[in-house]
Amino acid sequence: MTREAITLAILEIFRREFEIVDPELDKDLRETYGFDSVDAIELLLEIERLLNFELTHDEKKLAMDIRTLRQIIDYVELMAKRKDR
Amino acid sequence: MTERRVVITACASITPIGHARGEIVESLRQGRSGVKPLREDHLLSRYIHSQVFGSVDYPLAYDFKRTHRKTMGPVAYYACQVAKEALEQSGLAPEFVTSGRLGVAFGSTHGSPTVQREIYKTFFGGSRSEFAAIGAVDYLKSMVHTTAVNITRMFGITGRVIASGTACTTSSQSIGYGYETVKYGMQDAMLCGGADEYDTTTVAVFDNLLACSTAFNDRPHCTPRPFDIHRDGLVVGEGAGAVILEEYEQAKRRGAPILGEVIGFACNNNGGDLILPNLAGIRETLRIALRDAALSADRVDFISAHATGTKMGDIIEAQAIHAVYGERPFVTGLKGYMGHTMGTCGVIETIITLYMMNEGFIAPTLNLEEPDERCAMIRHTPALEARPINVAAIQNFAFGGVNTSLLIKRFV
Repeated sequence: MTREAITLAILEIFRREFEIVDPELDKDLRETYGFDSVDAIELLLEIERLLNFELTHDEKKLAMDIRTLRQIIDYVELMAKRKDR
Repeated sequence: MTERRVVITACASITPIGHARGEIVESLRQGRSGVKPLREDHLLSRYIHSQVFGSVDYPLAYDFKRTHRKTMGPVAYYACQVAKEALEQSGLAPEFVTSGRLGVAFGSTHGSPTVQREIYKTFFGGSRSEFAAIGAVDYLKSMVHTTAVNITRMFGITGRVIASGTACTTSSQSIGYGYETVKYGMQDAMLCGGADEYDTTTVAVFDNLLACSTAFNDRPHCTPRPFDIHRDGLVVGEGAGAVILEEYEQAKRRGAPILGEVIGFACNNNGGDLILPNLAGIRETLRIALRDAALSADRVDFISAHATGTKMGDIIEAQAIHAVYGERPFVTGLKGYMGHTMGTCGVIETIITLYMMNEGFIAPTLNLEEPDERCAMIRHTPALEARPINVAAIQNFAFGGVNTSLLIKRFV
């Protein structure tokens, strides 16, 4: 999955699931868009659906420090590589 | 311990007989029932003998932000809507609402049965998808304190939280415990109430216990029939209600409209059987409430009876009322209009009593045409009475042997 494809898919998830349209790449999602802990857990489930495999507990914990859209895309890219391995 | 006066400064409800105060009062005056045919739910409805339900069948225009909606099942929508209306009506300043001096006492019978049903489908639906997990928010929507905390979240309330979940006494406990919390100075105001959404599992439970009405499936508006010789059981209903309780001096200082005063509350348990009504237990509840209010029984001129329309429940309640109050106060079973709204009934019946107190009339018990002689010793209200209510008792009893009695007074 290319970085462009990941970005488009994540933006679609944000629009569909969180009613957040085109968030800026480096803005703090919580402060700027009210993206909270409940949304973060929901997003992980959406990422699993996108990648079509289950993330491990440790991989999910890695996501807990994410604050921006760019970090989310980086994270998904990293997880997607795991699948490719 | 210093005791402070507690007044009601706002109220709002969603009921099977209307949403706005004017609609509800008109339904009471016209004898309009909110009991309708049970709706198809593609799960239980076809197996249930009782085919009637106290239904909220009008549209509600919710205006909640996504951040609030995402943790709400239908029951929390009801709860947040009445909380919003009550807070707006109260005129409480936003700084006070978030100050920690306002608490919430709110509950429901279950969390959200609609959401719980989806969780069970995930468990037992036979899906082979490894992603058919329970959503992170499903617990927040279905937990038993979902109404209380969705309210605190929506309005930024930081005070105490009491989330009663005692079935039919859920919201009468909310008001009672809210009253005591303000009376003894733990909070300066409390937002109190309850909600329950459309739910056939509750109907199925009472149906299995042979406690539901089944003889009027072709004439839903003729049931339930509190105290009537032809009563054949209760009718489950849905709805929500909220009241704002406030310390009197504060309410007076800010010029708040005062709808009534809470002057006494009692809650006890029968100490035994979890289903059968208990005369000694209920009689004691009514007496404790009078003692709490330092009031003699002859000062009470109206009783909103729990009166669900079951064979034994209505008889035991009539006996308890007669033992404590005699034949003086008017007695009405408001469930005749809308069925038993479960966790909501205490607050809806309190709000309707406040409306009648403020409008100067007493609604009759709908469908009470021929009192059962075993219930006939009390002063029933067979027709609308144009007379003032000065002090009223609101009585509620729940499975588990929990009883409550709440005393409210007209504010003059």
